[in-house]
Amino acid sequence: MIAVEELTKVYGNRAALDRVSFEVPAREIFGFVGPNGAGKTTTLRILAALLEPTGGKAFIDGSDVTKDREKVHTRIGYMPDFFGVYDQLTVGEYLDFYAACYRQPKQRRSKIVDDLLALVGMTERKNQQVDSLSRGLKQRVCLARALVHDPAVLLLDEPASGLDPRARVELREILRELQGMGKTIIISSHILPELTELCSMIGIIDNGRMRATGPVREVIARLTSGRRLHIKVLEDKEAALEILTPLPSVRHVESVNGTIEAEYDGDERTASDILLALTQAGIRVSSFAPVDGGLEDAFLKATSEEVG
Amino acid sequence: MNVATRALWNPIVAKEYRTRMRTWRSPLAITIYIVLLGGIGWAVFSALIVTSTGFGQGPGSLGQMLFTFLILFQVALLAFITPALTAGAISGERERQTLDLLFVTPIAPFSIIWGKLLASLSFVVLLLVISVPIFSLVFLFGGIELDQVVSAFLVTGVTAMTLGFIGVAFSTVLRRTLAATVASYGAAFVLLAGTLLYGALFPTEVDSNVTTQPAPPAITLVSPVIPLLTIATNLPVSGYGVRIKNVNPGGPAILNSSGTPQYCAPAPTGGVMCTSQSSSSSSFFAQNSATAIPTGLFTGWQYWQASVVMQLMISLVALLFSALMLPPVRRFRLLRRRAPAAPPA
Repeated sequence: MIAVEELTKVYGNRAALDRVSFEVPAREIFGFVGPNGAGKTTTLRILAALLEPTGGKAFIDGSDVTKDREKVHTRIGYMPDFFGVYDQLTVGEYLDFYAACYRQPKQRRSKIVDDLLALVGMTERKNQQVDSLSRGLKQRVCLARALVHDPAVLLLDEPASGLDPRARVELREILRELQGMGKTIIISSHILPELTELCSMIGIIDNGRMRATGPVREVIARLTSGRRLHIKVLEDKEAALEILTPLPSVRHVESVNGTIEAEYDGDERTASDILLALTQAGIRVSSFAPVDGGLEDAFLKATSEEVG
Repeated sequence: MNVATRALWNPIVAKEYRTRMRTWRSPLAITIYIVLLGGIGWAVFSALIVTSTGFGQGPGSLGQMLFTFLILFQVALLAFITPALTAGAISGERERQTLDLLFVTPIAPFSIIWGKLLASLSFVVLLLVISVPIFSLVFLFGGIELDQVVSAFLVTGVTAMTLGFIGVAFSTVLRRTLAATVASYGAAFVLLAGTLLYGALFPTEVDSNVTTQPAPPAITLVSPVIPLLTIATNLPVSGYGVRIKNVNPGGPAILNSSGTPQYCAPAPTGGVMCTSQSSSSSSFFAQNSATAIPTGLFTGWQYWQASVVMQLMISLVALLFSALMLPPVRRFRLLRRRAPAAPPA
């Protein structure tokens, strides 16, 4: 559905994008993750045919974004990382205006607007002024705006930024519903865990380069190859450290606030071997827990390479 | 919807009408406009009543004077209002971050500009229409025919339109509304007063032996002031934009262009009258009585026609320029882009 090949964008002598490639099959939600300034917005703007790439190609549903702009515009719904609202317009009029811009016939527009307001849960706000809405509600109106022409592809730039946790959950539900309606979605964020639950695929970008791309599980497994354990023992912590340190699978051991933190290479079998080694030596283990939250660390690790 | 309807009426126009008329600014602008125009009309009227008593001037000339003041004041007012209406057209969308949202719709950049212009110019037309009752006071005195009013309003409307097109062009090129507003007012000043100043500083130079009074430089007709004066007074403008070489009115003889000394004196009709010694015949030109342009590029045209044509040309250039500069990804480039530098390692 979406194919990006060797996309490059150069500003002056700085490469905002350096040969970025990825593919998103139809009906997938692709999470586009990277720190601020990594090139997420640039990529999305090129896909929305708002920016011309310096090199490389991008296709939406087989249409080249640099050549077939009009076709691309009818296929995509673009939601930038800012709201873009007019004063003196109500929510209903705002959506009706964009529906008219997308050449939806007048007779159908009021139904489109009502349906979209129902989708984003704002039916009762139809007659409120757009610029008087809260951030979360504006975000929903902007999502509805991106949908007025029923596009097959949605490009969402940081849709969750600045939202409170509840609004995030609601946004996630709306996106799930859209996926159920058969839409292909690219959603960018600088927070990886925000996306891992929602997305089926993920791409990590940093400094204009794609670090990793593929199905979420694969990418995470690749990034978190070094696993971590939190171990608590009843007595004799020193002895436990002495047993753990020489083990070949253990990379690093340290004691933090009475808990032993161990980093190791391997799978669950390796973890059970470590536990076995401890108990065979007579160490009384009270808690032995693999740490799951290594995702953010792994992300930081992936994006901090080559920084120095 | 056929092509013509779509070109004339697009969603932008409807949205602009809505948002424009919902603010307090529009009714305020209309009120101020009417109060100022009505005020100047009343002031001129009272002044004329006082000064014309006993001079035996007919009511016709009074009506003519009133009309002249009103129409010139109206142009000046519109020169203040139009840049304010249009200078924020595109830069305002940019500042509100809504321009990208329009660019991803199938609406053509040209339609965006056209919609903005149409909405602003409709407001100008509204101002012109509501000024009609004030102008109708002139007919109480007479001296002004309907065709004069129509052509004067046409010139005024075209001037406002030109200023509007220039405003939108600046709004497209300059990122900020403030900069675009300043530039538009500058352009309005150049268009209305700058061209007149040019005519005063660099007038048409003619020999004293020409027999028809020449016209001011064609560029001065870009300004609507002279055309409006000729419409209102039904007389060509004299003593402006023309310099006669080799004359020394009332003084000693000086050489004319063919090398013979001549004496000149101001003619009672407004020109000069010269007598050459060798030919002993007087060559002079009197003031032209027709309002057609006697010489130059637009010979035989009415002043207002030349003005309208030149302003329309400026508008067209501004419109094409805006349409060319607006799209985010331009089809035609003014300058070819340099080859991209290799990305740093």
